[in-house]
Amino acid sequence: MKIGLPLLALALIGYPFVLNDPFYRDIGVAVLLAAISASAWNVVGGYAGQVSVGHGMFFGVGAYVPLLVFQHGAWPPVVGVPIAMVLSVLLAAAIGYPTFRLRGHYFSMATIAIAELIRIYVGTVDYLGAAIGLQGPAVGRGWWDLTFRGELPYYYIFLGVLAVVLYATFEMQRSRFGSYLRSIRANERAAASLGVPVRQTKLRALMLSAAFTSVAGSLYSIKTGFIDPESGFGLLVSVQMLITAALGGAGTLFGPLIGALILVPLQAATNTWFGGGGSGLTYILYGGIIVLLARFEPGGLYEFWHHFSTRWRARHAA
Amino acid sequence: MLLEAKGVSKAFGSFFAVRNADLTVAEGEIIGLIGPNGAGKSTFFNCLAGDAAPTSGTVSFDGVDLTRASPDTHARAGIGRTFQVPATFEDMTVLENVVVGAYLRHPHRNDARSKALEILELTGLARFAHQRARGLGTPGRKRLEIARVLALQPRLMLLDEALAGLTPGEVQRAVELLRKIHDMGVTLVIVEHIMEVIMTLAQRVIVFNQGHVIAQGKPEDVVKDEGVIQAYLGRNHGKRRGAR
Repeated sequence: MKIGLPLLALALIGYPFVLNDPFYRDIGVAVLLAAISASAWNVVGGYAGQVSVGHGMFFGVGAYVPLLVFQHGAWPPVVGVPIAMVLSVLLAAAIGYPTFRLRGHYFSMATIAIAELIRIYVGTVDYLGAAIGLQGPAVGRGWWDLTFRGELPYYYIFLGVLAVVLYATFEMQRSRFGSYLRSIRANERAAASLGVPVRQTKLRALMLSAAFTSVAGSLYSIKTGFIDPESGFGLLVSVQMLITAALGGAGTLFGPLIGALILVPLQAATNTWFGGGGSGLTYILYGGIIVLLARFEPGGLYEFWHHFSTRWRARHAA
Repeated sequence: MLLEAKGVSKAFGSFFAVRNADLTVAEGEIIGLIGPNGAGKSTFFNCLAGDAAPTSGTVSFDGVDLTRASPDTHARAGIGRTFQVPATFEDMTVLENVVVGAYLRHPHRNDARSKALEILELTGLARFAHQRARGLGTPGRKRLEIARVLALQPRLMLLDEALAGLTPGEVQRAVELLRKIHDMGVTLVIVEHIMEVIMTLAQRVIVFNQGHVIAQGKPEDVVKDEGVIQAYLGRNHGKRRGAR
């Protein structure tokens, strides 16, 4: 791990120059965005074990607000980023406060329901672009509009955000808060008996996760310059975060990034091989991954590696 | 009084698992809570630990009413409890398990960590510190539960069958550990089936049967009590003894 981290950082920084074709750069940006979203989801879904299937709502809020402030106020979209974060955190509090009173799957079910309600509602409001969606600045009025022609600036902005999210998660993991989250995931009743304020801790995790997810949404819409209900609040957006994190290893620092490094190129590959006719393959791919994870390694690739390496070491130490 | 439970009842629908139970525990005591299976010991225990709110009655600790307080409030007040079925955090290391408890009194990471290491040393778990809890056997996990609670620096420890399932040798070591904890000034309430443990450790024994407290007193007196013998061995046994 000591050599691994600088190597990984170096590979991510150097990637656009090694594979400097726009197609590969685009995949690189997509990998980073998926990694940011999944890492954000990981705070509450992984570390705290509270599986949200509706994180698209925070992604959507993050994606909509920057384009809204542009469309209705002619402000640079970036101005919308902190506003969206605040709104997402408030939304998280409104959802977490009632649902974390209950144990079990109520939280997961509530997140699906609310995300879907928001998606459908947004599709009917003209101010929010209704079903057609919203557009960002077609041509940048200055660098502050963050409308770049190439992929390269986006790649490094996304990489910087990913680094911040991962560093924050790393610090969280080492703190009392992180320790409490993992204890809640492992055994809620035992955690409470050890003085862990379970509800309050879950709520804080959800709010933190929502803030990060909102940023991911903002990055997406600022780069794409377009957002509609499906690509912001859609169920697939939520599911992708979950699958990406679970594939790499939910509740681990680098799990979501590893998941993104595998999943996004795989999607790109199936899309190129099978063209537009293969778009349904994404669902088959997700379904297949869920089945494989549930059957063989619910801890994801991280756990798989952990088991494999301990067994290997045990065999070779003897 | 350190702990005072008055008229505690817990009903599940129309069934009373605990009916009108009283318990007072003075600082520094070791109390044994015994009774046949299904007597209501664990339910009573959960009422004391804040895991279940009593249907009626009151529980106070050091003069503060905790009847309807949450489990984490109990922990903060100074009550620690173990679980009948070990509830260790399986995927976390032994050290990490104890650190969770230590954070209650030591919010900073390094302080919590050194407190936890100190406790692992005390409980003889230090060499397993970086192993996952999953890898420990039952005795180890029971011991880890005690260590975790100890990290709360509690004034009162509630032990729910903390020694069940251990071999005689392991029981011996666990009894020694409990003595050591008691010597540190921690008051103990022990639910236990192993009479040997109750007889050697407890200064006072409370006997439960069908949700009621049917006897209490010194362990050597309680085991001679007719009502207690009947509760454990059935009415016929008592009769036969009388006939003999």
